[in-house]
Amino acid sequence: MPKKASRAKRKPRQPKRGPGSPSKWVGQSIRRREEQRLVRGLGVFVDDVKREGMLHMALVRSPYGHARILKIDAARAAAAPGVLLVWTGKDVAAKVKPFIEIGRGPGAQVKDYPLAVEKVLYQGDPVALVVAESKYAAADAAEQVQVDYEPLPAVIDAEEAAANRVLLHEAAGTNVLWEDTFEYGDPDAAFRRAAFVVHIPKLHFHRYSSTPLEPNAIIAEWRRGDDAIEYWSNNSFPAFAVQFLGPALGVGIDQIRIRTHDIGGGFGIKITNYPYMALAALASRQLAGQPVKWIETRTEHMQASAHGNERTFLDTRVALDKNGLILAIESRHIDDCGAYPRYEPLGCIIWAQVLPGAYQFRNCRFRFSQIVSNKCPVGPNRGYSRMQHLWFLERVIDLCGHALGIPGDEIRLRNYIRPAQFPYTTPNGCIYDSGDYPRMQALAKQLIGWDEWKKKQAAGRKQGRWIGIGIGTTLDSGTNNFGQARIINPHAPYSGQSKAAIVKLDIYGEPVVFLGSVPQGQGHETTAAQVVADVLGIPPERIAVRPGFDSDQNVYTGHTGTYASQFAVSGLTAIHGAAEKLKAEMARVAAAALGARERDLEFGVGEQGPEVRVKGSKKAVNYWRIANLVYVNNAELPESLADVSLNCRHVYRAPFKVPDIRRKYGNLTLTYAAQLHIAVIEVDRETFQPKILAYAAVDDCGRTINPMIVEGQVHGATAHGIGAALMESCSYDAEGNLLASTFSDYTPITALNMPDLRYGHIETPSPFTYSGAKGMGEGGAAPVHTIGAALQDALYPAGVLVVDSHNSGDSLFRAVADARAGQAPRLRVERRSGRV
Amino acid sequence: MEFTFAGSFDTSRKPAEVYAFLADPRRFAPLLPDFESVEAAAGGDYTVKLRVGISHIWGTAAIRLRVAEADPPRHAAYEGKGDIPGGVAVLRAGFDLEPAGAGSRVNWTGRAQISGKLLSLAGGLLEPLARKNLEKLIEGLKAALA
Repeated sequence: MPKKASRAKRKPRQPKRGPGSPSKWVGQSIRRREEQRLVRGLGVFVDDVKREGMLHMALVRSPYGHARILKIDAARAAAAPGVLLVWTGKDVAAKVKPFIEIGRGPGAQVKDYPLAVEKVLYQGDPVALVVAESKYAAADAAEQVQVDYEPLPAVIDAEEAAANRVLLHEAAGTNVLWEDTFEYGDPDAAFRRAAFVVHIPKLHFHRYSSTPLEPNAIIAEWRRGDDAIEYWSNNSFPAFAVQFLGPALGVGIDQIRIRTHDIGGGFGIKITNYPYMALAALASRQLAGQPVKWIETRTEHMQASAHGNERTFLDTRVALDKNGLILAIESRHIDDCGAYPRYEPLGCIIWAQVLPGAYQFRNCRFRFSQIVSNKCPVGPNRGYSRMQHLWFLERVIDLCGHALGIPGDEIRLRNYIRPAQFPYTTPNGCIYDSGDYPRMQALAKQLIGWDEWKKKQAAGRKQGRWIGIGIGTTLDSGTNNFGQARIINPHAPYSGQSKAAIVKLDIYGEPVVFLGSVPQGQGHETTAAQVVADVLGIPPERIAVRPGFDSDQNVYTGHTGTYASQFAVSGLTAIHGAAEKLKAEMARVAAAALGARERDLEFGVGEQGPEVRVKGSKKAVNYWRIANLVYVNNAELPESLADVSLNCRHVYRAPFKVPDIRRKYGNLTLTYAAQLHIAVIEVDRETFQPKILAYAAVDDCGRTINPMIVEGQVHGATAHGIGAALMESCSYDAEGNLLASTFSDYTPITALNMPDLRYGHIETPSPFTYSGAKGMGEGGAAPVHTIGAALQDALYPAGVLVVDSHNSGDSLFRAVADARAGQAPRLRVERRSGRV
Repeated sequence: MEFTFAGSFDTSRKPAEVYAFLADPRRFAPLLPDFESVEAAAGGDYTVKLRVGISHIWGTAAIRLRVAEADPPRHAAYEGKGDIPGGVAVLRAGFDLEPAGAGSRVNWTGRAQISGKLLSLAGGLLEPLARKNLEKLIEGLKAALA
């Protein structure tokens, strides 16, 4: 097996010489500056923040998946030592409006309050809050709250929910909160001319989540003086949170200040913690503005923070020509968003960013609906909504390959969008910026030693071993166009995408960056410094980057947050723009100070540190002097420089248009990073435990800002995906009990479960971004697709179809047992002679 | 998670005696495994406290028990609801009595619905535990009615 065949690709590029060179620092594997504090335990997380007179909130949560609240007796809790406040859902409902709903129709009828009022809709649904002087007093008192419930039948299965025999939200009149058909091309004609039609049985993408080290955490302080709210929070999408908090709490958005500092992971699911932000703020207001802290426990996080979307794929038919080229796909998809929509139904369109995946088919008909069920509400978990669809497409192409006897690598090659076709417009109007999937496949095969494994597999099969080799090709669409929300709800007041950033020269001449993003471990501080360093022609260590986010710093737009794989594009372009503005202002001041023309100046580092100098001379002015002239010595400045602030804000607006709502057509995302993984897996014939024998991951995120950070994110996303594929599942029993509410049961992946990852990357620069970079980091759940394909390859001879995204030893045992009993799901292939 | 059990046993006592025993929570409840106390509560209910646990999860369960159905001397049914460590339990136990020779035949049914995070922690252990405790209860009943 070739060892680290991509090493040459990974070698850091040599910096181009010369100050101000556009790529001296961008592209370098500079060590993450955040590590300086994080690995030494010096990070500042919400729980590290202590406020004078701070109180602590605990929540009483439903043990039932679905039940009516008959009575709540809070008297004992209220009388407990140190307790200052006990509220039930009715108390809270009297003080707030329900959160806004993004959806139209039945979805708009959902009443979502921070605490359950009349019914609990999932296990962990909060029904009462307690605020006390200590977290222990609050937790003890919460146990004293007596809630009398009338258990109701729970709805767990998507098809059962769609049947509406039991309703969650009676006012909506249905559990189906959104549905529509996405039809492009002429699928009926394609099916008529197909040489093969493959009928695929029901597929199911399971529910899993992220397990950030730091759970949700909030401190709220209601400032009585100006009726404003101060938050210390780890919410990763403040612009979204405030749009829910403001109307519910009756305060203007500018009255809500959100600060983040270090965040211990997130992966999207902290976007929807705003109900708890509302509770903490209301409690603070009630308690004369005393700060109220809430730190989620691990079990609370597992039960009631947010899970990833679960999706069921039904009635799938695939039309193929005689060579295995997909002509059309028809299918019915039911997305399960749990008990409350919250960020949904945005997921009902976000999957369409990658409608054809990496493939060329032009005809399709997807009937898409979203239902509510008695499970934890979903949040935009890493790879949100796209990964479910991409998994579906990968299962489709993989199963079609098996059905037609075309190897997995070959059927993909026949169907991939060709490199020469980029920029590629998909059937629904998305524009894939760049890519080279065949080259990625070739590199991944080289990394893993494809031919050698094929020989080993053949030899192993003769010995009766179940060894499979699988490929997963996936996309990580980044920098989303919020105009797609209008396809969900034509009245949704969203479109486009923007990010703000500030770069300033401070009073002592130090360049400082204020991020308009909410980093949670992605290395934003490091890459921001690299970009500014290139603009100003000074080393990154000379650039200060303020950790975290603060809405009061005015680095805020309606899209502010970190989500949708976009910082490398939207965040860094905003920073780059602000840095260019600062550079221009500095050049004007320097020209005045030096008596030179701006075009004769250059930026660099001189004997007295960073400076602006006249090219070819020793005449220079350093940053301290430039700042001094503007901030404290400005009587020396000419009047023509009165507009110079050295405090430069830039807003990046991605080049989007509002999609055509009627046709569901338009560009929904700016960049398309890609991942191609290959796994070799053996399923033990005695224990049925799957074991990864080899794993290769190839990434293409355009031009890389920091290759080391990219590789780290690929490792992280791969680990997350492997855990999801083989270990992690938020499964529920028929009554709505979550069967994995601790790490002992959920078994999140650890370093010990990770295979040796053979990593490689290619670069197909994006033509749509200033740097050629594409957003990345979500990974598109590539391992879920890849492992499914490898297991399929291993077990197809045993009559097993891989129809679920989660495959533990236990489920594989049952699948094989079903196959042996002749009860396994089966493919059906129509072969039509004389067709194309 | 829901468990249902059913069975029958014979006793030498007459149906009226068996009924009088079964329908009196003060006499019936102490036979429950890990019984701690029984107290009369408002509305004719009883609060039965049990020391229950599984693996490392132990605590006191306070079950509000009431006689839901009474048709002496043929039928009685209890319903109970309460907090258990890590969750809540809803219980129902019914007894149908019929003469059998000189004594009685007790046909019993039991249903327990357990909800809460206990299911996550110990779901797989609950059914065997419930079965074991039920066997203890039935053996206790047989002994008490012998």
